[in-house]
Amino acid sequence: MNIALRIIFIFSTCLTIFSCRNNSSQKDGQLLFWCSNNNQEIILCDTLTAEWNRNNTSVPVHIQPIPEGQSSEEVILAAVVGKTTPDIYANMWQGNVEMYAHAGVLIPLDTLKGFLNFIKERCDSNVIKEITSSDGHIYQVPWKVNPIMTIYNKNLFIENGIQSPPKTYSAYLQAAQTFKDNNRNSVPAKRFGYTEVKPIWYQMRFNFYPLYLAASGGAHLIQDNEAVFNNKYAVGVFRFLQTLYRDDFFSKESEGASSDVFVSQAIATKWTGPWEIQHLNSIPNLGFKYGYCDEIVPDDHKGPVYTYADPKNIVIFNTCKEPQKAWEFIKTIIDKEGDMLLLQVTGQFPRRKNLLTDNYFSSFLKDNPALLPFVKQLSYLKGDDNSESIVEVLDIISQEYEACVVYGKKTPEKAIADAEAAVNVLLKNEN
Amino acid sequence: MYRALTVTKKSNFQKRKLLPYLLVSPYLLFVIVFVIFPVLFCFFLTFNKWNIIAPMHFIGLNNYSRLFHDRLFWKAIVNTLQFLLLHIPLQLVVSLFLAYLLNQKIKAGSFFRASFFMPVIVSGVVVTILWQQLLGFDSGLINRMLMETGMNKVGWLINPDIAIYSIAVMATWKNVGLYVILFLVGLQTVPTQYYEAAKMEGATRWQQFYHITLPMINPTIFMVVILSTIGGFNLFIEPYIMTGGGPLNSTLSAVLYIYKQAFQYYNMGYSATLGFFYAIMIMSVVVLQKKFIEKEI
Repeated sequence: MNIALRIIFIFSTCLTIFSCRNNSSQKDGQLLFWCSNNNQEIILCDTLTAEWNRNNTSVPVHIQPIPEGQSSEEVILAAVVGKTTPDIYANMWQGNVEMYAHAGVLIPLDTLKGFLNFIKERCDSNVIKEITSSDGHIYQVPWKVNPIMTIYNKNLFIENGIQSPPKTYSAYLQAAQTFKDNNRNSVPAKRFGYTEVKPIWYQMRFNFYPLYLAASGGAHLIQDNEAVFNNKYAVGVFRFLQTLYRDDFFSKESEGASSDVFVSQAIATKWTGPWEIQHLNSIPNLGFKYGYCDEIVPDDHKGPVYTYADPKNIVIFNTCKEPQKAWEFIKTIIDKEGDMLLLQVTGQFPRRKNLLTDNYFSSFLKDNPALLPFVKQLSYLKGDDNSESIVEVLDIISQEYEACVVYGKKTPEKAIADAEAAVNVLLKNEN
Repeated sequence: MYRALTVTKKSNFQKRKLLPYLLVSPYLLFVIVFVIFPVLFCFFLTFNKWNIIAPMHFIGLNNYSRLFHDRLFWKAIVNTLQFLLLHIPLQLVVSLFLAYLLNQKIKAGSFFRASFFMPVIVSGVVVTILWQQLLGFDSGLINRMLMETGMNKVGWLINPDIAIYSIAVMATWKNVGLYVILFLVGLQTVPTQYYEAAKMEGATRWQQFYHITLPMINPTIFMVVILSTIGGFNLFIEPYIMTGGGPLNSTLSAVLYIYKQAFQYYNMGYSATLGFFYAIMIMSVVVLQKKFIEKEI
């Protein structure tokens, strides 16, 4: 009995000790690289890693798709807490970087040799300003963007006599009214558009925030640790969206993960990114044609139409023993060849300047006209404001969005003012 | 010789003394690591501000003060109580009624028992998605049936006034099978002689049920009320998947709010405070229920 108990005790102790080890078990001199776990990005990163490993045998890179979880943000958080972070992670949401930077778990990349020159050559000054942390350092490599635009069903537009995709609030509402009148008796119900109604912070990145950026020409939500969104643009966006729900042009029902109302043609428009192209093209016998157009803007809007970039960037964690080597590897992901591969394999867009005019990319873009609306949009993109509390800020706006836009319980002016007040209280308490 | 005997005796004594501790040690270790330590750590967290990745800051009783001024938390408590108000009586009545029917000599009794129990073993997420399809506003089966009969559609999950009750009905459907089995066991322990004697005295069916069955299954009723109260207080999966706490926070349960504070905003200290307060609240309600039920039945 005693021997058996001793064996059990020794076994459980060993198990505990080994399971508590952190990732430092990686072989010395080897870099661990986590990429997104969607198929295209795994293929892309596998190719880039194999290429690196062929030429750099002294510091090989071990690629691993990010472990499964409800969201990549949660997985990264768990890894940070457990000190099991990889050396390099590609696919970090820009909004999370500031929090990790303040916690001191990221390498300031501007301290690495050659970083600043490379980035200045690849990105324009606005992008560099956007990714610079409040402490003046840069903790992220701007990698790729997925501009949020309006997708529309061309067949439904033609069937309902809508000649061209609407560009302004009044044109959109007019088209929605026409669509509603023509489909009054359809079962199941058809509506002009859909956007998620659950009051969840990240949904704001696909409805309110892109429309706000479009209306305001890329204005901030937060500046100098203060809410700056209580303006005519935010109020106008809330009023426009409120009308869509009030007049039953949009459904108040959450679509859920089990159905795709755009594919089933129950809706004619929605706000989404270029990832939809691959999804729609993968459906056999889709039965309709689709197109993309700019975000909807106020009737009196002048100038370019901005939208949200949904930026995903690359970071180096402070668990990395060879950050300079890690940066050398990252350069191969974001150089011209790497960016071209990103376009070809994933259909996502590198965040580099002059993509449209650079001869290196022009032949590919000519062969893929579906991507052109996004390429044109690349010059007018905005990422997330640098704030540790950006998630809570978006959540506060989502609460007001639900009360005002979806259920009409508040006026747009009151909802935006309440959101501003709540955000300012939050930002004051956080500092 | 004497020394050897003493050593053997001592060794046997030590073995006998140590053996029980060794046998319970795996469970003890489990309880220490997964229950006692987390509870103590959680209590410690209530006095701190912590976002998991940055160092903790001691903030004294600030989290407790925030709790009492947090209108959304109290809204979540009211929502949970509204849910319980329908869920517990419905659960109790429906499960007792079904158990009473099953306790009669009916054909295919085991088939019905298995059928009622089926939702209990199906994953909560699957049940929730299934009910989402039933309760959908535009495409839900129930609304389609209403429209077929010329009635108006009902916003089962999008009307803030009724969404929590829709969830209560769904949760009752999911769990009722378990309580049917518990009641069935309780009903089968009631001696048949009592009913025979009552019949001879001319008691009606209702009188038999009220004066014999109910008092005899008192412990089962107590258990069902306690279990469904605790289960109801833990309401999470249904609003998390179906409504996300909406519309207008009308289905935001206390546990969902605690979860959001912890894993959406990373307010670990405040979330721990809410959790502690809520646990004390549940314990108080259960103690009150125990006293009330023991007194009434």
